[in-house]
Amino acid sequence: MKKIASTAFGTTPWVFASIVGLNSVFLSSCGQGNGNQTIAATTEKGMLALVANGEDFVRRGFVSKDGWQINFDRVYVNFSAATAYQTESSFEPQKGDTKDSIQYQDKVKLLDTTKTSDLAAGEADAEPILISEVNVPVGFYNALSWNFSTANASSPIAGNTIALKGQATKEGQTINFDLGFNHPAEYICGEFVGEKRQGIVQADTPGQVEATFHFDHIFGDANTPSDDALNQDALGFQPLADLAVNESLELNETDLSTSLSPQNYQKLTEAVLGLGHVGEGHCVVSTSQ
Amino acid sequence: MNKRYFFLTLLVLIAVPKKVLAHGANIEYRETSAITIQAKYDDDTPMAHAQVVIYAPSDRTTPWLKGTTDESGNFTFVPDAEPNNVGDWDVKVRQSGHGDITTIPVTGSKLAQNVTDTQLSATGAGYTSMQKAVMAVSSIWGFVGTALFFSRSKSYK
Repeated sequence: MKKIASTAFGTTPWVFASIVGLNSVFLSSCGQGNGNQTIAATTEKGMLALVANGEDFVRRGFVSKDGWQINFDRVYVNFSAATAYQTESSFEPQKGDTKDSIQYQDKVKLLDTTKTSDLAAGEADAEPILISEVNVPVGFYNALSWNFSTANASSPIAGNTIALKGQATKEGQTINFDLGFNHPAEYICGEFVGEKRQGIVQADTPGQVEATFHFDHIFGDANTPSDDALNQDALGFQPLADLAVNESLELNETDLSTSLSPQNYQKLTEAVLGLGHVGEGHCVVSTSQ
Repeated sequence: MNKRYFFLTLLVLIAVPKKVLAHGANIEYRETSAITIQAKYDDDTPMAHAQVVIYAPSDRTTPWLKGTTDESGNFTFVPDAEPNNVGDWDVKVRQSGHGDITTIPVTGSKLAQNVTDTQLSATGAGYTSMQKAVMAVSSIWGFVGTALFFSRSKSYK
């Protein structure tokens, strides 16, 4: 038997070699488990854009919880530091988190300086506003942080972090409003939550991360039930309309803090700070910059 | 758009679906590690009939599965047994302007259990295309080797 077996292999060495080769293929096919096939970690680069989106509330207007038709001419926000992160698992921000809470594999600075942007720019069907665009390593950027800082003298909203200009109309009365808020804050967010997945950068396909702002949080939304938490927490427009003089409302943060009731000012402050999202995903806000 | 936060409660369950064939008397079963998520708002209200999108580790851009939560906000799925799907499975749940994404790590042992159990099935549905090809080619070489063995042994008689 020993001789027969030896002879069989000796006359067909290619058979033996082929079997060894097949085993290699088999081991190889079983061993390709943990790698991410779609977004490999390489030295390749692609473009990543940071955009800001006020959604249709800003672009098309809406009716507040107390029946005021709100339309915006300008919605200024003053961005400063913005960073996108790649994390192994999805980052879900929890109360008390800071940027240090994000356990990232890689991060890229999207904005180093301050930049004032108008979320109401363009037509009703305009795309989100481009804040910055950076050449970054390819990958999946699934966490985002940015700051709102007080704008300096060169900005159209000097002294504010956010400013809203527009008209509010109800029952034949129109109030022109120009409201300035000054709440420097840091937003810590996970992955964009929306119809399509965002933050994926490939060498031949740019990606984007989005800072989304929900202005119904300030004024409420007539299309949402009145007992919904959104409308329960929102200030509405009526408390502001009550402060108008000659159908004009020009108030900055100091004016608002002294003119509104303490309860309404608190409501407004929390709503303004809670504007920032990533699509439908919530962010954690830190005011101790 | 609502300020209410919600969270996903993850429950890993062992589901034992039994499979009864339409013809013959064979009964097969497959024990798998199913993952059940529960989506709730922060006031404990279930996210009933919410949209669920699942991404497998091997392709984080294309949904692996889409579905809808039940009345209690629950949704159950079984990660597939492909070796390249060991790792983080991302689950996105959305409803009326609210949404969240969470990651569920699926370990090799969990998938290994799926593979082993699936191999009990006569359908062989758990093998990858590569594995099937390798098995087929190996079988053919086995026949060739056997034929060569007996053809050579005849010359020594």
